[in-house]
Amino acid sequence: MRYLLLGAAVLTTLAAALLLGPANVPLGDLLASPILWQLRLPRAVLAFLVGGALGVSGVALQALVRNPLADPFLLGLSGGAGLGAVVAIALHLPGPWALPLAAFVGAVSAMALVYRLGLMGSAELDPRILLLGGVAVGAFAAAITTALVSLAEATELRNAFLWLWGGFSGASWTTVLVILVYAPLPLVVLVAAARPLDLLALGEEPAQYLGADVRRLKRIVYLSASLLTAAAVAVAGVIGFVGLIVPHVCRLLWGRLHRTLFPTAFLAGGILLAAADTLARTVVAPRELPVGIVTALLGVPLFAFLLRRWTVS
Amino acid sequence: MDRELIVAVSDLTCRYAGAPRDALVAVSLEVRAGEFHALLGPNGSGKTTLLRAALGLIRPIQGRAEILGRPANQWSRRDLARVVGVVPQREENLFPQRVHETVLLGRYPHLSLFGGVRTADRAAVERALLACDAVGLADRWLWTLSGGEYQRVRLARALAQEPKLLVLDEPTTSLDLRHEMELFELVRELVDTQGLAALMITHHVNLAARFADQVLILAEGRAVARGAPADVLTRETVERVFSWPVAIEPFDGRPQMIPLRRHPS
Amino acid sequence: MRRWAQRTHLAALLVLAVAACARREHVPARGGIAVTDDAGRQVTLAAPARRIVSLLPSFTEILFAIGAGDRLVGRTTWCDYPPEALAVPSVGDGIPPSVEAVAARRPDLVVLYRSGPNVTAAEQLERLGIRTVLLDLNLLEELGPAARRLGVLTGRPQAGDSLGAAMDSLAAQPPTPSTRSLVFIVWDNPPIVIGAGSYLDRLAALAGARNVFHDIGSPSAQVSIETIAARDPDFVALLSDSAVPPRYAARPEWRVVRAVRTARFLFLPGQLFGRPGPRAAEAIRELRRRLAAAP
Repeated sequence: MRYLLLGAAVLTTLAAALLLGPANVPLGDLLASPILWQLRLPRAVLAFLVGGALGVSGVALQALVRNPLADPFLLGLSGGAGLGAVVAIALHLPGPWALPLAAFVGAVSAMALVYRLGLMGSAELDPRILLLGGVAVGAFAAAITTALVSLAEATELRNAFLWLWGGFSGASWTTVLVILVYAPLPLVVLVAAARPLDLLALGEEPAQYLGADVRRLKRIVYLSASLLTAAAVAVAGVIGFVGLIVPHVCRLLWGRLHRTLFPTAFLAGGILLAAADTLARTVVAPRELPVGIVTALLGVPLFAFLLRRWTVS
Repeated sequence: MDRELIVAVSDLTCRYAGAPRDALVAVSLEVRAGEFHALLGPNGSGKTTLLRAALGLIRPIQGRAEILGRPANQWSRRDLARVVGVVPQREENLFPQRVHETVLLGRYPHLSLFGGVRTADRAAVERALLACDAVGLADRWLWTLSGGEYQRVRLARALAQEPKLLVLDEPTTSLDLRHEMELFELVRELVDTQGLAALMITHHVNLAARFADQVLILAEGRAVARGAPADVLTRETVERVFSWPVAIEPFDGRPQMIPLRRHPS
Repeated sequence: MRRWAQRTHLAALLVLAVAACARREHVPARGGIAVTDDAGRQVTLAAPARRIVSLLPSFTEILFAIGAGDRLVGRTTWCDYPPEALAVPSVGDGIPPSVEAVAARRPDLVVLYRSGPNVTAAEQLERLGIRTVLLDLNLLEELGPAARRLGVLTGRPQAGDSLGAAMDSLAAQPPTPSTRSLVFIVWDNPPIVIGAGSYLDRLAALAGARNVFHDIGSPSAQVSIETIAARDPDFVALLSDSAVPPRYAARPEWRVVRAVRTARFLFLPGQLFGRPGPRAAEAIRELRRRLAAAP
């Protein structure tokens, strides 16, 4: 039953994203209109894919650090992405791909740095150090970013920050292609790690006794989740809340086994972000709200409602 | 006819990184099918270290650890989990789950990477629950269970792995008398009826003496005595290892330790 | 009797003292100048300013336009018009102003654009004993008052008034009936356009072109490509010194906008269009000319 509702929600959200918009295209002309094919469809698809990526990444990271409050951006990735974007602006790097590529490189560099910190002497990733290292790297990147901002041209940087705060205004088939190139491998790796992640919830030592190769598991989960998040940032900037809330909502509705959690988190994340984007571009039309605000406004009450229902039952 | 040798540890010496002294010094142990071994010793004597080294989690400086004849570090964790079922001292439970779900985790070493849960797996879960007298608990949430019930469930999970060896690390701390006795009796029964081997770390010297076939006493990483309880648990040995005056009285054919008062009234 | 007289005298003294204080504020020192700036401050000079630092290109232009350009001893790196301004030493980019560099020029007046950081810089300069004036200059309407006050401060009130009058009459003109529409695109990802509360919007209206985002009250706003396409402007206007189409023009999602697809761009040189200034009328004429010349 819940799966049916999920499927229905996917269809409804996509339909709304395709049918609603400032250009009042009559239904009959819609299929032939470039508004649909070049603007609304890639935007809806991108929002869905990014939301799915963030949802899955959130599930994986919460399992890895064994902390239900973990968000993909807690590990310093957003700070790194921001720094990359600002460097691209400050250096006046050419091309429409300079900004997303720099953000991606920045996010991946932050990931590598946090990974190195997380190893900290031993050969095994310590999730607590990952969290602390993530906060430290994020703060460090933010400090350098602020320094660069104070030294560079004001308007360009404001525009860079608007990009960084997340949005699908620049969505195109090319950006869809970017995420389609980067996302599948980490997704497959994470789905394969679903059962070992169930075991990891018991603790590292019990998980090993139940057959999980915990050392390898932590490494590949961290790298895959970070890559997914970096790919999402590269095409859509930093969008918070999705990776934090979607895992909880899905756990409340479908339980904690990762084999069901990953696919449902992907769909639920996609629904949340696609719906949020549709709202972001219609509620204050002709202007657009930053998507991150809408995801928070949508996600938090939804979560509160579900939490109440669950604790009462 | 020799019973199958499951775990063979010989002359094992281990040291943790940065530690001033060895955690284990030249310890040997052999556990065969159908045998109930108890591992005794004061805190810090190396009992859990021996466990970890025997199961390949720690690399020894010297000596060998073998499972079913093969070196422990050559076993993949998955394969090992099909031979040895461990009930560790501590585990976490981040998200709520039901009893049958947590016991099912014991079947994971048998599940293929992308395959599903088969009827055989569910049957194994049923059997495990039955053996631990926990069938009635199957649909309960873990957080509603009592201490004794929870331990039985964890034991059922280890049994669901269909192992040849059961390892339990201090399973009865914080259990009351009844549940403690029930657990020891359960392990004894599993060893007798299903031909499993069992290795239990415990502080309960007397119950170890009553139920175990073989006892290994560790002190400061060294093996002080190994053998049948009647041979090993003498007054001299116990007083030396536990640094406390005791009297040893027989009960039911087994030695029982009675701690004496240092300052009698 | 005596006590009553004492009390009255005391009261009279007090009244006189208060009156004297109050009057001192309104009556400038003999030969002195006073204006009220846009931060509500009373700026008083004993004599017309002789060493001026201008921290905004628009102020530099106005000062030269009213014939006070020879008094400039400091400008920002952005002040590039008129060409004579380039001979004035630069005190940095002015964002935020370097108080030390400005003070090193030993000015008797510093003209600043009123913004948060500049208010702080002005306070610091005042503490060093340097007079500052903070003026708003975002809109066409603000050119007149700025010119007049700069005229007073430089002792060239007639030039300031005449420039101010010209600016005021320009600002008072009703929008020319528009035959064409345009959109000002400032940034592409995310798309940022210029709205009604801005100088460029006003120039367009006076040049006979309707800004399709005139309904947005703020100077700039983030919109979607679809919104731009839906409003179907005739032209895409952008500040650019070259005639090279912007990079986003080649992307398929931008080509849904008719003006992008048909390459109907208006490349407006930054020096003339990028900031409010005395050449506003010239900017309007130039824009009108380009609109007429376009197919």
